[in-house]
This record gives sequence, structure tokens and C-alpha cells, in this order.
Amino acid sequence: MPSLNITLVSGPPGAGKTTWIRQQVNSAAETAVYLNLGSGNTPIDSTYLATEVAGLTVLPVEQLTDFLAQPLVGSAVYVELGFHIDLTSLILPDQMADCQRVTVLPPATRQTEWRNWADLVVTGVKTGMALSQPHLWRSVLSGQVLDLASLNTFWYELTHGAYGTVQRAKGIFDVADGRSLYFDFVAGLAETTYLELNLPLWCNGRPDRFSGIEVVGEALDQEAIAETIKACCLEDHVIAYYQQQIKDSLEPGDEVA
Amino acid sequence: MKIAVMSCIHGNYEALNAVLSDIDDHNVDKIYCLGDLVGYGPHPNAVVEMIRALDIPTCQGCWDEDIVEGLNACECSYPSVLAEKRGKLAHEWTNQVIYPEVRQYLAQLPLSLRDDNLCFVHGSPHNQHEYLLPEVDAFVAMERVLTTGADILFCGHTHVPYVRSLDASQMQIRVKLADKSEQETSFSAPLKRIVNAGSVGEPRHGRPNATYVIYDANTDQITLREVEYDYEKTCAAIIEKGLPPIFAWRLARGMEFAERADDPTHVCER
Ligand SMILES: [Zn+2]
Ligand SMILES: [Zn+2]
Repeated sequence: MPSLNITLVSGPPGAGKTTWIRQQVNSAAETAVYLNLGSGNTPIDSTYLATEVAGLTVLPVEQLTDFLAQPLVGSAVYVELGFHIDLTSLILPDQMADCQRVTVLPPATRQTEWRNWADLVVTGVKTGMALSQPHLWRSVLSGQVLDLASLNTFWYELTHGAYGTVQRAKGIFDVADGRSLYFDFVAGLAETTYLELNLPLWCNGRPDRFSGIEVVGEALDQEAIAETIKACCLEDHVIAYYQQQIKDSLEPGDEVA
Repeated sequence: MKIAVMSCIHGNYEALNAVLSDIDDHNVDKIYCLGDLVGYGPHPNAVVEMIRALDIPTCQGCWDEDIVEGLNACECSYPSVLAEKRGKLAHEWTNQVIYPEVRQYLAQLPLSLRDDNLCFVHGSPHNQHEYLLPEVDAFVAMERVLTTGADILFCGHTHVPYVRSLDASQMQIRVKLADKSEQETSFSAPLKRIVNAGSVGEPRHGRPNATYVIYDANTDQITLREVEYDYEKTCAAIIEKGLPPIFAWRLARGMEFAERADDPTHVCER
């Protein structure tokens, strides 16, 4: 059996797991495979990395078994573990037993559970809060198109505590002008604007690609979050109106879907 | 003569009370109100009853009109679909709780008021829904004042208080756009001013405090007042009355109830 170069990456929310993986892949010559365990049906990091990192193949969990049977020899495999995955009870396939364990932690934190588990501790970013009982809320939004002005208002409210204490929030949203946008918030870090994902402008009906949101925090008013997102979503006839505008203003070479 | 001018109370009874007692401390001769008595806030009836009890001359605001006429604001006056949905929720709630006599009172409010060389409107002399933001083009601003024939135009609606002086040089450029008769008056017109009274009940200056203005005609002095009040009482009432809790969160941060309206160029063409 060919030996695989596998790295498991763990750490608390917002510490910089995905960023660290991205740096490794960018600085290495070989191609890389990325697998995210624990993201369920909201593959935000996978979608982000797949569009933003050249030479990276994102592997859906469902394809792991097939992949291990016939791995891409010579490529590095990064497995990102969600913060909510219990490391002590995690059982991985035999082929993955011989791997490197990396944990990305904010500076000057004990986080003994992760330290004990890891072969290598990487100092990540200093986050503004460490919740003892972080709660995870997620929603798939695929097919929804949001009004950007509304989304900006919602994102401001969400990340400033209007719906509970938020430690980490990230999302991928399709907006009215056809773009797919990546939003990323970590409490205590400088606020950033969204990133436009390198995907074609969607201008034919409801987008048939992933979008969704993930929020980690405390005392989250999930119902209000869901309701507000719903209020940001556009109706079919409005989507059609904007998509016609996109089509009318296309320049040669614009990528559309 | 000394007057106090306030606007945009938006059903915030606590803020109104605080402003009225601040006005009391300043020995004014008369109070004017520029409308938006209702909308978003939890006490629309109490606010109207107070204004009526004190016999405060009031012009009709955009929200007052919408409560009478049915939701009539053009869609483009909302900056986003989220703001529009929140605005509609507030409208429906207000529409349900408002007393018939309050509605009647709002229906008969005039669009503008005059007092000697002063004119009072809600949004602009053209329309209750038009925003006269401080950065509005100087020609447009001057045109709005000139149509009233007044020297000082008091307005509200933007929820941000300001004083803007328009001088003769701007006027001279302005007359090229006007017809002959206006040309004459324009040249001889003295300095004109636009005074925005801000908002008593729904500030958007980043603090929850109420704002209004005092104008002293003897000294020709305009003072912008910012008044602290127990906004947490209003926030509690918002939640207790079943209005969206996000209104309370935003009010406490001086961010308006739903979302700021910020298209300075938009003129509703209804
Ligand atoms: Zn108002
Ligand atoms: Zn108004």
C-alpha cells in the first residue's frame, strides 16, 4: 500500500486552521487534497479553498473510502477537523493512522486537550474570546439569492451581538449581481469586508451551487438569525430582473453560469 | 422670539418627554414639530396625545401620511429589502394599535407651516419623502429654500441634525436655472439656511440620545440640542409590545430602528 502524507489539523474556532492549510498548500510544490470533517452539509471552508487555492482538490467525505483505496500518490492530504469534534473518540481509517497531527491554537492559550493530542502546535491568531460552551448554528442557503445591502446590515448586526455573542461566523452567499461572496468574522480580529469568490456570475435562475452560513457563539437567537436571513432573500421575479441586467451588461470574457 | 423645533418622534414617548423637559429649561416661546409622530416606536398613541395636549403646531411626516393613506412610500425609498420588510412590519403594527382619533388627527396635518420668515416641512418643500441630506447639491438645496420664500427652512426626515448656510454666490449660479422672476428675487435674497432638527425618537448619529434645535430670532442663533433619556425603557417597551427585538438593539446604538436610509439623490416621483 502506498504511504500517504496525511496531516490532521485541529483547533478552536477562528484560530486559523484553514488559513494555515492554505499557506502549506501554497508554499509546497506538490498538489494537495483537502478533506473537512465535521462541516456536514455546510462545506464553507471546502468551497472557499476549492475556488481560491490552485492545485488543491477538495474531497467530499463520501469519497474518502474510494480515495484511500486508490490515493493520489505524491500529494499531501490535509484533513481539517471541526472544533466540535471530540479528538479522543475520533477513529479514522487504518490507512490514516500514520499521520501528522497539527493543532492551531491562539497564542498563550492552554487548550490542553488539543496540545495533548498534537504532534505539532502551530501558533495561530489571537482571537477575542474563548467560550467555554460554544454553540454551533448552521444553515444551508443553496438556491437563495440575497440582497447585498440587506446582507451587509445583517452581517453587521450578527457580528456586533444583535443575535447573541458571536465568536466566529462565516458564510458563502449568492448575491443579486451574480457573485458568490465569502464572509468571515472572528471576534477580536480586525473587521474585514467580504471576498468575492472566483466563480462564474450566476445569471440563470436559482444558483445550483453551495451557499450557507455557520455561526459559533453563545446565547444565539437562532430563530431571529434565520428570520433575518430569510428577509434578505430575493423572490424569483426580482432574481430574474437582476439576472437580465447581468446578461445585458456582460463583457466578452465574463464567465457566467 | 425663541422657538424649539423637533422632528421624527416615531412613537418614542420616553424620548419625547425628555426633549419636552429640556425645552422647558430653555424658556422658548413656541414649539414646532416636523412630523413622523408614529412609526417603529412602541407608543404612537401616547406621543400623538401629548403633542395634541400641548397644542404643538405640527406638519405631516412620511410615516404619518402612510398610516393615513395606507403604505404608500415608494419601494425605492427603502435602502434594502431587509429595511423594507422591517418597515412594513412596523407599519402593520402601528396600523393595528393606532386609535381612530389619532389617525384622524394625523390625516388633517398640514404639509408645511409658516411663521414669518421661517418655514417648516418634514422632508422637503416638494415632498414628505424627500431627503434633504447635508451633502445635497447646493443648487438643489437653494432651490428648495427659494420655493418656500422663507429665509430659514426647518426640516427633519433624515434623522441627522445639521445647519447649512447657503450664500449668495451659490444663488447666483442657481439663477441660471431659474426663470426670470426668480432671478430678481434671487439676487437680492439674503443668506438662506436649512436647519435639520434631527430626530427625537430614532436618532442615527451613533448614540441613542434625542436631538432637536432651538432658534433664537433675537440673536439669530441656532442651537442643536442632544438630550439623554432612558432609552432602555423604550427598548423594553418595544419587546414587550411584540415589535421586532432588533429595533431595540439598533435604537440603543443610535442606528435607527430598521436601517438608515441613505440615498441623498433619491427624489420620490410618485
Ligand atoms: Zn422620521
Ligand atoms: Zn420621515
